Amino acid sequence: MNCVRKLLLAREFSAGRGVLRQAAPGRDLPWLQGSSCGQRFWLVPVRSIRSGAALSRFELVPSARGDKEKDRGPRDGSLVPLDELFELAHEGDRNKAAFSRALELFCQRDVRRRGHVEFINIALRKMPEFGVERELDVYNKILDVFPKEVFVPRNYIQRMFNHYPRQQECGIRVLEQMESYGITPNKQTKFLLLQIFGEKSHPVRKYRRLMYWFPKFKHVNPYPVPAALPRDPVDLARISLQRIAADLSAKVTVYQMPLVDISDAGKEITQPHIVGIQSPDQQEILAHHNPSRPVFVEGPFPLWLKKTCVYYYVLRGELLPPEEKEEVIDSERNFFYPMHLDLDLDRGPWDDEEFDVDEAVEGPIFAMCMAGAGDQATLAKWILGLQQTNPILSQTPVVFHLTPGPRELQAGSDSASGEEEIPQSWHAKQEL
Amino acid sequence: MLSGTVTRSDMSGLSLLLRAARAAFPAGARQLRTGGLRSAYAKELFLGKLEKEVFPYPEVSNEELEEINQFVGPVEKFFSEEVDSKKIDQDAKIPPETLKGLKNLGLFGMQIPEEYGGLGLSNTMYARLGEIISLDGSVAVTLAAHQAIGLKGILIFGTDEQKAKYLPKLASGEHIAAFCLTEPGSGSDAASIQTRATMSEDGKSFLLNGSKIWISNGGLADIFTVFARTEIVDKDGAKKDKITAFVVERAFGGVTNGKPEDKLGIRGSNTCEVHFENTKVPVENVIGEVGGGFKVAMNILNSGRFSMGSASAGMIKKLIEMTAEYACTRKQFNKKLSDFGLIQEKFTIMAVKAYVMESMAYLTAGMMDRPGVPDCSIEAAMVKVFSSEGAWICVSEALQVLGGLGYMKEYPYERYLRDSRILLIFEGTNEILRMYIALTGMQYAGKILTGKIKEMKKGNVNVALEIFVNKFRDSMGRKVDLGLVGKDGVAHPSLEESGKKLEENIYYFGTTVEGLLRRFGKTIVDEQLVLKRVADISINMYAMTAAISRASRSISIGLRNHDHEVLLTNIFCTEAYFKNNYAMTELEKYSAENLDDSIKKVAQQVLEKRAYICSHPLERTV
Repeated sequence: MNCVRKLLLAREFSAGRGVLRQAAPGRDLPWLQGSSCGQRFWLVPVRSIRSGAALSRFELVPSARGDKEKDRGPRDGSLVPLDELFELAHEGDRNKAAFSRALELFCQRDVRRRGHVEFINIALRKMPEFGVERELDVYNKILDVFPKEVFVPRNYIQRMFNHYPRQQECGIRVLEQMESYGITPNKQTKFLLLQIFGEKSHPVRKYRRLMYWFPKFKHVNPYPVPAALPRDPVDLARISLQRIAADLSAKVTVYQMPLVDISDAGKEITQPHIVGIQSPDQQEILAHHNPSRPVFVEGPFPLWLKKTCVYYYVLRGELLPPEEKEEVIDSERNFFYPMHLDLDLDRGPWDDEEFDVDEAVEGPIFAMCMAGAGDQATLAKWILGLQQTNPILSQTPVVFHLTPGPRELQAGSDSASGEEEIPQSWHAKQEL
Repeated sequence: MLSGTVTRSDMSGLSLLLRAARAAFPAGARQLRTGGLRSAYAKELFLGKLEKEVFPYPEVSNEELEEINQFVGPVEKFFSEEVDSKKIDQDAKIPPETLKGLKNLGLFGMQIPEEYGGLGLSNTMYARLGEIISLDGSVAVTLAAHQAIGLKGILIFGTDEQKAKYLPKLASGEHIAAFCLTEPGSGSDAASIQTRATMSEDGKSFLLNGSKIWISNGGLADIFTVFARTEIVDKDGAKKDKITAFVVERAFGGVTNGKPEDKLGIRGSNTCEVHFENTKVPVENVIGEVGGGFKVAMNILNSGRFSMGSASAGMIKKLIEMTAEYACTRKQFNKKLSDFGLIQEKFTIMAVKAYVMESMAYLTAGMMDRPGVPDCSIEAAMVKVFSSEGAWICVSEALQVLGGLGYMKEYPYERYLRDSRILLIFEGTNEILRMYIALTGMQYAGKILTGKIKEMKKGNVNVALEIFVNKFRDSMGRKVDLGLVGKDGVAHPSLEESGKKLEENIYYFGTTVEGLLRRFGKTIVDEQLVLKRVADISINMYAMTAAISRASRSISIGLRNHDHEVLLTNIFCTEAYFKNNYAMTELEKYSAENLDDSIKKVAQQVLEKRAYICSHPLERTV
C-alpha cells in the first residue's frame, strides 16, 4: 500500500514537472541540453530535433485553447488509463488536432514518459480512428514520445546484444505501420530514431531498408490511380473509362447528367448518370459492322480503383466468321511503293520474334459506358446516344445481356429510398 | 512546223529565236518514254552485279550541246536580270511580267514535242535548264507542277485528240496545269481518295465531286489532272471502286479554289485547295482508261523526279560562288575565313555533293534518253533522295559559313534554306521513296533468287555448299572483280581505288540482299528499318557509280580540271564505302544487336503516352 502511495506521489511529482515544463514552452530542457552536449557526432541532427520538438510543442497546443489545456493539464495528468487519454483529448471530432492533443497530454504528465511503449501501441491502434494513419508528421510525433538518449547503447556489449528490446520492437512497430500505409519516412524520422535508439539499432536499420525500397517502388505502377478519387460519379466514371479504354484518342461523352427532381405531381424523379467512351478506331470498326448481325450490351463488370469498385458495361459484337475477317490489300493501294512483295519466301525462324501465345480470340468491343443505374432503360438511352455518332446502330439489333450484378445483394437492405440509394451505393461502393 | 499548231499572239522574238534554233537541229532521241521492261542499272545492284551500261558516261552530240548552250544563255540572263526572288518571296506571288517572260522563253513547254508547240527537249536538256530555273524556288516549283506532273498525264497517256486539244495552249503557257491527287484524308493511300466521279445516265460524261488540298498552281491553273474514284464493273460482274484520271478544264464549271496557303518556303508558288462541285467532265477527257488512274498516277510521279538532281546541283553551285566570295574577303584574327580548316571543310562538302548530284542527275537523264524503253524510276528516286538531302545539308553549311549574316532576311541565304526544305517532302517524301527503292530492288532480286534460296532451305547440299564456299572465300578476303577497274576495266586507272571500293560494296550488297531475302522473305515489307539501310546503300552505290563514270570520262577526254573531279570522286567514294560497310554490318545482325529493337521500343513507349516520358532531371522520389 505504501508502495502504491509512493508511486502515486512520484507521478504527481512528475506531473508537476510537466507543468513546469509547460510553463516555459520553447525553452530547452535540461536533459535535452545535456544530451546535445553529449552528442559529439551528430550535433547538427540533434539541434534540428530540438528545434523540431520545440516547434511541435507549439503546434500541439492550439493557441486558442492554450489556457484551457494548461488548467486541465495537472488535473487529468496522472490517474487516467492510457486509452482514455484519447477520449479526453477529443472534444467532438476525432481529427489530427485531437490526436496530437492526446500525444501532448501523455508527454505532459510524466517527464520520464513512463508507459510510453504501451501508449505508443495504443496510439498506433487509434490512428485510423482519428484518420491520421497517413500523416507523416503524426508518426514523427509518436516517435517523439520515446525518451531520447536512454536506449542508445553505450558500449560494445550493449551494442552486441539487443539493447532495450521492447522499446526497439515498439519503434519498429511504428515504422511497420508506416510501411503498411505506404508512408515514406523523412529526415526528421531519421533524426528521432538516431536520437532515441542510436546508429546501428534495429529501428534505424528498418528505417534504412524503408528508405531503400520505398523510393524505388514509388513509381512502380505504370498506371497509377489518383490518390484521391473524385466524389462526383460523372468524374469518377470519366477517369475509370479512360483507364479501361487505354487509348488517348478515345472520347468520353456524358449522355446524361445525374439529376434528382421533384415533378409537379410531387413525385421524385431520379435520372441516373450515363457516361460513355468510344475511340475513333472503335467507331470505325462499328461502321464496318454488318448490320444484320446483332450487337450486345453486356455487364456489369467490376473495376476496382484502390478501394472503390465501379461497374461498367460494354457494347460488343460477335466474333467474326473467318471469311469476313480477311482483309486483302489491294495491289493498287499505294501510289508510291508496293505494299507487298510477290515472293514465295517466308520469314526464317531466327527472325521470328513473336512469342508463341495462345490467344483466345474475342469479338470486337465498340464502346463502353458507366451508368448510375443498370436497368435496360438506362442503357438503352446510352445506345440512343451512341446512334448520333454511329448511325449504323439504328439499323443493327441490340441485345441486352445484363447479369443481375451486385444489386441483388443489397436489394433488401433499404426499401424506402431504394431507388436512388442502391444504384448509387453499388456503382461507387466504398469499402474500408 | 511552229506556226501550224501554235496560236499565240504574244510570242516574243526571243522565243522565236529559241524555237528556230531548236528546229535547226535534228530531233534526236527526244520522245518521252516511261514504263517498260528493260531492267536498268540500279536493279542489278541488288543482285550484286555491275551492269556496264553506265560506262562510258552518257554524252550529248556536239550539235545538241550547241543547242543546249543556245537555250542556256537567254534563260540565265532572264533569271539573273528579271527574276526578283526576294520580292517574289516577300509578296508570295510571282509577278505577271515574270510569268510572261517565262512563257515567252517557252519554259512552260520544255518537254512538250515540237509538233504541239513545245520545245521538245530531251531529258538531258530539260535537266540542264532545270539547273538555272532552280535559282528561284518558287518559279521552279511553279514550272515543275505545270509540266513535270501537271500535264505529264496528257503527255504520256493522252490520246492524240487530247494532246492536240490541250498541249499547244499548255506549251505556250496560255493555260497552266495542276496535278490534283492529294486529299485531306489521302496522301499516298489510293483507298482513301474521296473525290468521286459518277457517270451520267447517257454515259457521255462524268460528274466530279470532291476536294483536293495543297495543289501547286491550284489557283492559277486552267487544266487539272484529277484523280477520282469511279465505279467499275470488273470481269466477274462485281462492282468495284477504282481510281480514274481526268483532264478537267476550269471552264467546265464547278471548279473553285481556296486562298493560297502561306508556306515556309517556295512562297511565291501558288498552293491552295481545289474543290470540284458537280463538274461535268466528258468521257473523252479520261486519261488512259476508266479505272486505270492508279497506273497513270504512278507513272507521272515516277517520271517527274529525276530533274531534282540537276536543280539542286544548280542551286548549290550558285551558293558556293556566293559563300566563297564572302569567305575569301572576310578576315578574322588577320586571317581570311577561307584559311580556316573548318570553313574549308564546308566548301569541300558542298563541292562533293554538288559534283555527285550533278553526275547522278545527268547519268539518269542520259539513260532515260537512250533509245528503247528504259525504266529508270528507281534511279530517278535515288537522284531525288540523294539530291534533296544533299541540298538541305549544303544550304545549311553555306549558312554556317556566313554565320549570323546568313540568318538575316536581308540576304538570300535564309530563303534558300526555306526553299530547299520542301525538296525532302514533295514528289514523294524521302521516306516513301526509300521504301520504293528498296522494295522494288528486293522484288527484282527476290524473283531471281527465290529458286536458289528455296533449294537451300530444302537442304540441297550443292547449293548449301556453294554458299558455304562463297562465305569462306569472303572471310578469307576475297578479291572482287566485276570488271570495273583492272586490265579490262571500264573506269580510268586513276580511279582504281574508288572503283575497287565500289566493286566490293556491290558484291557484298548482293550477298546481303540474298541474306535478307533468306531471313525475311516477303515479310521484309514490314521491316522498314532494314529497308531504309538497303535503300541508303543502293543510293550510295549509284552515286559512286555516277561519280566514277563521269570522272573517268573527264580524264579520258581531258576536260578542264579533271584532276579536281578525281579528288571529289575519291573523297565521296571513300566516305560512302565506309558508310555502306557499316550499314551492311548492321544488316547482317539481328534486330537485338543492331539496335532496331531498342529503337522501336523507345518509339512505342513514347507514342503510347504521346509525350516524352522521362522524369525531369530535378525530380525526386524522397
